[in-house]
Amino acid sequence: MVRIPYHFILEEIVKIKTTRFGELEVNPSDIVTFSEGLLGFESLKKYFVVDPGDSTLILWLQSTEDEKVAFPIIEPKIFKPDYIAKLLPADLNGLELESLQAARLYSILTIPATVTEMSANLKAPVVINSTKKVGKQIVLQDSKLSVKHEMYKELKTYIVSFSSDDAKRTTFTSSIALEAGELKTPTTFNSRNLEA
Amino acid sequence: MLVLTRKLGESIAIDDNIKIVVVQIKGKQVRLGIKAPKETKIHREEVYQAIQDQNTEAVQADMSDIARLGEELKKK
Repeated sequence: MVRIPYHFILEEIVKIKTTRFGELEVNPSDIVTFSEGLLGFESLKKYFVVDPGDSTLILWLQSTEDEKVAFPIIEPKIFKPDYIAKLLPADLNGLELESLQAARLYSILTIPATVTEMSANLKAPVVINSTKKVGKQIVLQDSKLSVKHEMYKELKTYIVSFSSDDAKRTTFTSSIALEAGELKTPTTFNSRNLEA
Repeated sequence: MLVLTRKLGESIAIDDNIKIVVVQIKGKQVRLGIKAPKETKIHREEVYQAIQDQNTEAVQADMSDIARLGEELKKK
């Protein structure tokens, strides 16, 4: 009798068609459920993060249910180091976060044909619990945050200074804070290798 | 939709813990005061609309634009 090692009987890889990246092989455990969908896209609940590995540092939140739907996203700390997403207790509903360590924070980007006018939505970031694989677009209460924060220059500054650096990885401090505030430990993000 | 008429200074209670007060009436504008538990999310409706519009615009991002963006970002 041949015994199959345990790690071989993991879930089967699924193939998902996307208009931008062709057919992708996705591990079902990488699929994130947005039980409320995203604003304007309430019917789409399942997404996964695509890292095309290009120099822009932009990732994509790709729908598994509609091949055309993919949101360009980026970690806001990259272009706005002082950005803090203050979450209210109600924001945490459904995120199953036991600690902020598991929380990943992304801003959705709008990239028009005039690319230098790209903007990030700071008012309504996407928070993903990377352990439980659940996510939510959260509308922050802070009225000073813009849904259309132009950030091309900030991103460029970061990329230019980064690529002249020998360090291949850098760590970001998490930009999530709880309004209730008992979890104060900063989370660290690892940025991707820019040379990749 | 339930429609109620209120005068200046009068209020509406929702559940046991939310209270909306008419604070000021000036021409076509009404100022409302809202008392609610900290975890209640309160936003002007336009905020949601603006986010929806932004999301709709975001998914239109084109890979050729991203490629151009990559080139622009690399320029010194």
